[in-house]
Amino acid sequence: MPYLSEIQHRRVIEPNGNEVGTLKDLAVVPQGQFPAVQWAILATGDGEQVVKWADIAQEIGHLRLRSRREALTAVTLPPEALRLSRDLLDKQIVDTHGAKVVRVNDLQLSEVDGQLRLVGADVGLRGLLRRVGAENFAERLVGVAGRKLPRGIIPWHLVEPLESPESSVRVTVPRTKLALLHPADIADIVEEMTADERRQVFEQLDIETAAEALSEVEPDMQAAIVSDLDEERAADILDEMAPDEAADLLQDLPERRREELVELMEKDEAKDVEELLTHDEDSAGGIMTTQFFALPADLTAQQAIERLRELQPDKELTYYLYVVDAQGRLDGVIGLRDLVVAKPEAKLSEVMDPHVLKVDATTPKEEVAALIAKYDLLAVPVVDARRTLLGTVTVDDVVEFMLPRGWKKRSNRTLAR
Amino acid sequence: MTVETRPAEARSRRPRLDRPLRVYLLALGPGLVTAFADNDAGGITTYSIAGAHYGFALMWVLLVTAIALTITQEVGARLALATGQGLAGLIRERFGVRWTAFAVLTMLVANLGTTIAEFAGMAAALSLFGVPPGLSAILSAALVVLILARGSFNRIQYAFVAIGAGVSIAYAASAYLARPDWSHAARALVVPEIAWGGAYFVTLVGVVGTTITPWGQALIQSYVADKGLGPRDLGPVRLDITLGSGLLTNLIAAFIVIACAATIFPTGGAINSAADAANALGPLVGPSATTLFAIGLFAAGLLGLGTVPLSSAYFACEAFGFERGLSFRWREAGVFYGLLTFFIVGAALFVIIPGLPLIQVMFLAQVVNGLLLPIILIFVMKLSREPNLGKLRSGRILYPLGWLITALASAMSIAFVASLFLGF
Repeated sequence: MPYLSEIQHRRVIEPNGNEVGTLKDLAVVPQGQFPAVQWAILATGDGEQVVKWADIAQEIGHLRLRSRREALTAVTLPPEALRLSRDLLDKQIVDTHGAKVVRVNDLQLSEVDGQLRLVGADVGLRGLLRRVGAENFAERLVGVAGRKLPRGIIPWHLVEPLESPESSVRVTVPRTKLALLHPADIADIVEEMTADERRQVFEQLDIETAAEALSEVEPDMQAAIVSDLDEERAADILDEMAPDEAADLLQDLPERRREELVELMEKDEAKDVEELLTHDEDSAGGIMTTQFFALPADLTAQQAIERLRELQPDKELTYYLYVVDAQGRLDGVIGLRDLVVAKPEAKLSEVMDPHVLKVDATTPKEEVAALIAKYDLLAVPVVDARRTLLGTVTVDDVVEFMLPRGWKKRSNRTLAR
Repeated sequence: MTVETRPAEARSRRPRLDRPLRVYLLALGPGLVTAFADNDAGGITTYSIAGAHYGFALMWVLLVTAIALTITQEVGARLALATGQGLAGLIRERFGVRWTAFAVLTMLVANLGTTIAEFAGMAAALSLFGVPPGLSAILSAALVVLILARGSFNRIQYAFVAIGAGVSIAYAASAYLARPDWSHAARALVVPEIAWGGAYFVTLVGVVGTTITPWGQALIQSYVADKGLGPRDLGPVRLDITLGSGLLTNLIAAFIVIACAATIFPTGGAINSAADAANALGPLVGPSATTLFAIGLFAAGLLGLGTVPLSSAYFACEAFGFERGLSFRWREAGVFYGLLTFFIVGAALFVIIPGLPLIQVMFLAQVVNGLLLPIILIFVMKLSREPNLGKLRSGRILYPLGWLITALASAMSIAFVASLFLGF
């Protein structure tokens, strides 16, 4: 199977053997799984000339035009054409399978049913060595050690080119493959993009995915992204994020911008976020979420389960049910299991455990983490001085700073795909 | 009665600082970090030699490099702001694999020299307490590996910056107390005092090479790119570069030169060891000068070691598309860690060579940096007019000035190499 680097710069001759120039580039229209090579760009003595690939025959050591140069119909590249060398070689692309940004060392072409097609991007060491003309040498060298050079080819249908402003390529529905990825993977990828590209991605993703992906982006960059987005859009995304995460992000913005955004947010979300913003970022109040599942003590177990069915709270909030009095003060807690096994007519006040492990809103987040780790909790309630339930800190809120730096990044590289 | 009010339109035309303050502060970093990292072990030594051997005669070079550094760093920052990529990635996209290999090789050679200089600096510092260089090198390498492996460099780099700032202030105070001829110093800043001769020229190359560095050009871009800054952040970044890289770096350098020019130069002394260089702090702290100098040199070396090997490995891996960054495991980013290890272990081993003249090694490393600088600058300048930069393309002022600097640096390097062959 030929590689672009192997046929690029080959001599191009006319049928009678006259030299025309060299092959400079190939062009495809980036549609379908494996786009067909449709044009060749020749470097001739008097500049570039575009010819149809069908007008060229591949021969050993050179390429031969099927008819004389003057006899060829003049062609120009359509605006949607992608030039393989200029637009792809050495550029960054998104490997949607491995969910990361990689650099193209070479491009793999293949003759399928008499049609030369772009089938893959070589992002491995082999491609790099081939480009400097050292592939065979390196292969023999490694062969001596009884090893083989690894191949690193990504099939073309798993590739998403990163748009480059210099090329005329404008993919009409960009990032469609990107949107199918896990939000955490999208986050990894946008971290490698330019500010402009990042903005585009967050404008195009649906709100829910955008919110999830933004939550996964490094904190430094979150603030930068939200600042670049249109305000309405930014507020919509913040609405969709968990209130504690939205608050963390807003905390990193300057006051004026923060106020503008909170103003544009939905009333309920804005209220939650504003309350969280009053707490110190490193305290229980700062990392908690204001969403929790609280029920009055005089409910029966049966009623409580019905309420649960009806409201369908998020999974992190389902395992502990908090029992509060009329003023919202925390009286007890019931585990999901205890609720399910309790007699249907039993009152919550009889089933609940009145000795609740709770923390104050001002408790440092490290202490909260230690508590959660020590007692194997999934969440811990946060109360104010009057024992009013303010929110909960769930285990996923503290995992991040309990783990060594960089853990989050590398975890997804060890997942089997 | 008339009340003078500012016309409303004039007010609205004033630029609004509506960028998030935090992003502003994030940006207020590369210049500052570069400012102190630039005054690394090699920097302190080179500026000391410049002042001790030539008095004020090289002051003018500092003014020129201050302007030149501001310009080259801004050109670099613009590249990263527009593309979100580091220098290596851009070279790869524009020039292909072979030129990239050349750029990487250049960068690695210059940086290996710098890394050796940092180890030599730490060894010279510890030698003032009687620790043999071999032992210092091993201890320093262990310390760096520990800091990098624990991922604590980002936190403790500010401690080094603080020590660097302290030492800088000490130099300023010492320069003041030594009662130099200020009017002479000021005049020398603007009017070149040229002492034609091989040694003067070598020192000049060293001063340029320690101030405008290949790794500094790589660092500014990766810093900007990693923080996710975009075209809108040009203002704050430019301010940071001008104040940090341009002004502060060279202000500190000027105080070191003045302190040495006022204390060591009049005695006709030369700097052959760290103890000689420490004398410049004498007017401030008297006999404790040695200790203060040793602490400063050690911290400066460590700050450089936390920056240069990392930025080298990052550069090479970005160029060739290997996984990079300390958040990866060895198995995942073998090339990255391999290079990092090669830099730290290789440079440390070099310093272990018995009888190595540490001060001269540090100085020579800066000269090597100065000689290789034009190669990197040519890449930077050629990239600066690419259409994909949009509004951040270097304009009618920046572009010709950038090339002028590149031309001057090239002339300097060519003259140097020519003089070697022609035997001056």
